[in-house]
Amino acid sequence: MSPALETDTPDEPNYDDAFDAIVVGAGLAGSAAALTMADRGLEVLVIERGSSPGAKNVFGGVLYTPTIRELTDFEDAPLERYVAERRFSMLSDEDETAVSLRPGEWHREPHNDSYTVLRGEFDEWFAEQAVDAGATLVTETTVTGLVRERGRIVGVETDRPDGTIRAPYVVLAEGGNSLVSEGANLKETERRENVAVAAKEVLEFPERDGVIEDRFRLVDDAGVSYHYFGEGAVGDAFGGGFIYTNEDTVSVGVAYRIEDAVAADQSPEETLNAFKTHPAVAPLVRNARTVEYSAKTIPEGGAESIPDLVHDGAAIVGDAAGLVLNNGVHLEGTNMAVESGYHAGNAIARAADRDRTDADALRAYPDALEESFVVQNLERYAWMMDAVEADRDLLFEDLPRAFADAGTEYFRIDRDPKEVHAENAKHAVLDALGGWSGAAKLAFRYRKMVT
Amino acid sequence: MSVQPKTPEITNDSMEDRLYTVKYDDPGDSHLDVKVPDICADCETNDCVSVCPANVWREGDDGVPHIAYENCLECSSCRFACPYDNVVWEYPETGSGVTFKHG
Repeated sequence: MSPALETDTPDEPNYDDAFDAIVVGAGLAGSAAALTMADRGLEVLVIERGSSPGAKNVFGGVLYTPTIRELTDFEDAPLERYVAERRFSMLSDEDETAVSLRPGEWHREPHNDSYTVLRGEFDEWFAEQAVDAGATLVTETTVTGLVRERGRIVGVETDRPDGTIRAPYVVLAEGGNSLVSEGANLKETERRENVAVAAKEVLEFPERDGVIEDRFRLVDDAGVSYHYFGEGAVGDAFGGGFIYTNEDTVSVGVAYRIEDAVAADQSPEETLNAFKTHPAVAPLVRNARTVEYSAKTIPEGGAESIPDLVHDGAAIVGDAAGLVLNNGVHLEGTNMAVESGYHAGNAIARAADRDRTDADALRAYPDALEESFVVQNLERYAWMMDAVEADRDLLFEDLPRAFADAGTEYFRIDRDPKEVHAENAKHAVLDALGGWSGAAKLAFRYRKMVT
Repeated sequence: MSVQPKTPEITNDSMEDRLYTVKYDDPGDSHLDVKVPDICADCETNDCVSVCPANVWREGDDGVPHIAYENCLECSSCRFACPYDNVVWEYPETGSGVTFKHG
C-alpha cells in the first residue's frame, strides 16, 4: 500500500470535474453515503474491488433497518427473513441454559427492523439504489492509495491503467481491513485485542423442503437469531457462536478475539466445527451441506477506537471507522454503517454547497454521529470490554456451568423435599459468584445493561 | 462429570471436503507476504498460522510460514495477529481473489 502521493501543484487543485465525490467500497456504509450524496445532486463515483457489490463482503447475519428504509424504497429489498425469535444461550461443555424471546410484535411490520439478509444479494441491491439516484458504480477496481496535494486529499489511485481519479471529497468505506486509510495515515492499525476473527458457514438442507421452518419453529418469513456464549461456544475465548436463519439456508458461525484465537489450541475452523457438534447445536445443523465457508475480521474496539472521522477532503465511515457494537447482548454494525454513511454524505453535500473541502467544513458528520445512537451506544458500553475481560472466567466458564447445575438441581426428581433442591441450586450460583456480596458486585458492574 | 457423547453429524467437516460457492480466481501474484523472513524464522508462536480461518498460513519446514495465498478468504486476521507487524497484506489484483456468493 503506497502512502498518499504528494504532487507538485498550483494552489487550486485541478479536480477532473467529472465527480464531486469518490466512495471507496460499495458496502452498506459506502452505498448509504453515495445514495445520500446523489440525492443531494452530487456526482458520485463508487469504486468496488469485487466483481459486484457484496462479492467481498461477509457478516454475521442481521441487517437492522431503521435508517436504511428511510433512505430508499424498501419494498423490493432482497430480505431473507425477519427476526421473530432472539435466543441467548449459555453453553458449558455439555449443557445449554437459554433465554428465548418471541414477542408477538416482532411478527408485525416493520418487524423490529431486524432482518436476515445475504450480503451478496443485498449489497448489490442497495448499490443499485445509489445508481438509480444518479451515482456511478465501477466494480473490479481496487483503490490502492489516496492522492494528496498540500496535505489535502484530492483523489484516489486505483490499479487500473491511468487509474488516478480526482475529486474534492473521498469517502473511505473500505471495511475493517482498512488498508487505504491506514496507508494514508488517516488511522492506526487496530490492536488485535480489539479485533475479532469470525468464521461462518452457510448451510443447505438438501433432503426436503420445510426443514428450516420445522427445526426452528417458524412460519412464513419468520426467522431466528441465536447467540451462544460460554466455553461450549468458542472455548476459553472472549466471543461466541451464532445461528441465523435465511430463507433457504442457515448461517452458523463463531466470532472471538484474535488475541484469544492465537492463544487457543484450535484454529477458527476447528472452533466452528466444535461448536457445530455441541449437543445444543448439532441437532439444528444435522445433515446439512456446507455451501459456503467464509471469514472476516470485526473491529470491536468501541468508542475509544474510533479514528478521526474527517480529514481535509475525506471522511471515514462504517467498519473502517470501527463502528461496531458488541456488548455481549447487542451485536450491531449494519445499522451503524448506514447511519454513518448517511451523515457523512449529508455533511459533504453541505460542504460542497459552500465550496469547502477542509475537515472543519465536514465536522457536521462527526457531530451528527455523536448526536445519533451510533456513538451514544458505543460510549454507553465503552466500559464493557474491560469489565468482560476482567470477568472472563466467571462469565464464559463458571456461570454457564453454574446456571446449568442450578437448573439441574432445581428440577431434580428424587425423593428429597424441594427445599433441598432449591438450596443446592442457590449454592451452585452463589458459589460461582462468590456469595451474595459477589452477586451484588457483579450486578453493580453490569447495571448499565438493564438501566 | 461424565460427558455425553457428541453427535458430529456433519456431512463435510474438513476444509478439503467442503463444497463451496466461494469462487477463487487465482491472483497470479501473492497478495500475502512477510516483510522480514528472519523474524518469522525466529518467531516461536506463529500467530498467523493459528489465527488463519482458511489454513492459508502454514508451518513451513524452515520456520517461515508457507503461504497458500490462493485459498485466502481475505479476512486479514493474519495482519492483525502478527505481533511484529511483519505481514504484508495487499488487496489481490483486481478481479481476482475470493468471491462470496452469499456473504
